[in-house]
Amino acid sequence: MNASQTQSKKLRQAGIVRRVIFVLVAVAVIVPYILKPNLPGEPNHWAEEVYKRVDTLKPGSHMMLAFNFEPSSGAELYPMVRVVLMHCFKKGVVPVLMTHYTNALNLMKQVVAESATQAKKKWGKDVQPGKDYVILGYRPGDEMLIVNMGENLKGAFDKDLDNRLTQNMPALKGVNSLRDLDLAMDFASSGTTQMWIAYGSDKFGFPLVAGTTAVQAPDLYIYLPPSGQLKGFLGGLRGAADYETLLCRSDNVAVEGPANKGMPSQSAVHVMLVLLILGANVRMIYGKFAGKRKV
Amino acid sequence: MPEPELIPDSTQNNRWSPIEMGVLATMVVVFLAVSLWRQTVEGIAHNPYDTIGIIVAAGLTLIMYSFLYRDNPLFKIAENLYVGISLGYATVMGWREALRPEVFDPLFRAPTETVLYDTLLHRSVPIILGILLVTRLSRKYGWLSRYSFGMLIGWGSGMGIAITTHTFILKQLETAIGPFQGAGQHAAVVPFSWPWMTAVALPILLAGIVMIGTVAVLWYFFFSVEHKRAGGALSKLGILFLMVSFGASFGYTVMGRVSLLIGRVQFLLFDWLKIPR
Repeated sequence: MNASQTQSKKLRQAGIVRRVIFVLVAVAVIVPYILKPNLPGEPNHWAEEVYKRVDTLKPGSHMMLAFNFEPSSGAELYPMVRVVLMHCFKKGVVPVLMTHYTNALNLMKQVVAESATQAKKKWGKDVQPGKDYVILGYRPGDEMLIVNMGENLKGAFDKDLDNRLTQNMPALKGVNSLRDLDLAMDFASSGTTQMWIAYGSDKFGFPLVAGTTAVQAPDLYIYLPPSGQLKGFLGGLRGAADYETLLCRSDNVAVEGPANKGMPSQSAVHVMLVLLILGANVRMIYGKFAGKRKV
Repeated sequence: MPEPELIPDSTQNNRWSPIEMGVLATMVVVFLAVSLWRQTVEGIAHNPYDTIGIIVAAGLTLIMYSFLYRDNPLFKIAENLYVGISLGYATVMGWREALRPEVFDPLFRAPTETVLYDTLLHRSVPIILGILLVTRLSRKYGWLSRYSFGMLIGWGSGMGIAITTHTFILKQLETAIGPFQGAGQHAAVVPFSWPWMTAVALPILLAGIVMIGTVAVLWYFFFSVEHKRAGGALSKLGILFLMVSFGASFGYTVMGRVSLLIGRVQFLLFDWLKIPR
């Protein structure tokens, strides 16, 4: 067999191995939905900090939710927003939603509708727009918008997404700027959390927590205490699952929710990937020794 | 005579074998049959938009995943559809949520003269600067956009430099040296006792590691001096720290990508196939 035939054979083998791995990943994700294993898991410290911050808010407090992701990151962040909104409705906290992304608007309405339905079903809370929550919507400007909201929130958003005037809105009573917020949370799929830290919480002095995709998570650890620029943070689907666990425990019910449903699949794929990486490394090291012995 | 290829090597050519074409056609028919069976004709009649939306979304999801086998025309169509729809949606929403209420309506649909004069007084300069930005597309008049860019960069620098310096540098420096400063606050604690270890020794050790790692990584990227002997060793230490951080990032990225797959699988199982949750 000449060199080009050997190369072609290796490429074909690599193609087959690649496809086998894809099938293994698919099986590792799908099988837990059929078997439904009950895997133990403890929420991490930073998820508990976010939960405590929301849980200690008094009824009538205002919490801004910056909805900064698009449907492409919805798999990780939608369950997170859903459970935080449910917690807000349970505690009587008024969530104030806004976004820097045009593609997020309908997703915002969808998650609020779903959380409101769950809040009514679980705790009998009947939430009304304009009174118990407000969706401010989208304005362009990124950092400029945050500075604008920090100085005059109702000037930045004179109407909400449904064209109601914000000036005398019951949901925004007592909130004229970001300084008047009791808590803010940025749900981010890109670098908006750093923007909110720099132009928001550091400048106007309100407490900020974050919920981000897992890809963003490593960049945010430096802002957690002792730095204190972020008071807590939820990382990826695991963060959403931790929050769901804490909320269900507070109600003394079995842990449930879309994020927790995904955790057995997450664990299965991670175990499979670790085994594959270890196996590949063992094979590589064995191949090196075998090659040396031949020489 | 070369052996027939059961699984063709997609790196060699883009031609589809008759077996592959047959499998693809069968899968399309199976998909449509399963969709009609699980979504049911009654579901389509009762809630047509949602039901057809679920079928289309499931189809596009599976088409995207067909790329894992090999590139194909259906994938190309779905990919371009994704880009086009995202851009189109963003454009329409940008017009509806920003341009129309902030520019078009105040100028051309002002309810009273007072509102129109107020708009001209307060919004004319930003509107003109915004229009000048678009002149960037013209070779002849592109220089006009420099006024707008100048404003943007000026504002950005004026706001950003001070804030960035405070948030991303000074605040982080404060945190880094905090444990060394804080050691003095625990002077009353007995040295080498457990409280001393947790309150003084461990924070200082960790802060020391962070400081050494930061200096080593910064040194690695300093290319004005050759990295020899002690400098070389420090550079290698910097590489070690970088590898550890890349490993952590990689692990989180894998978790993120798997989460996206889990989201799609949940949609396919619970919304498309209607398997009980």
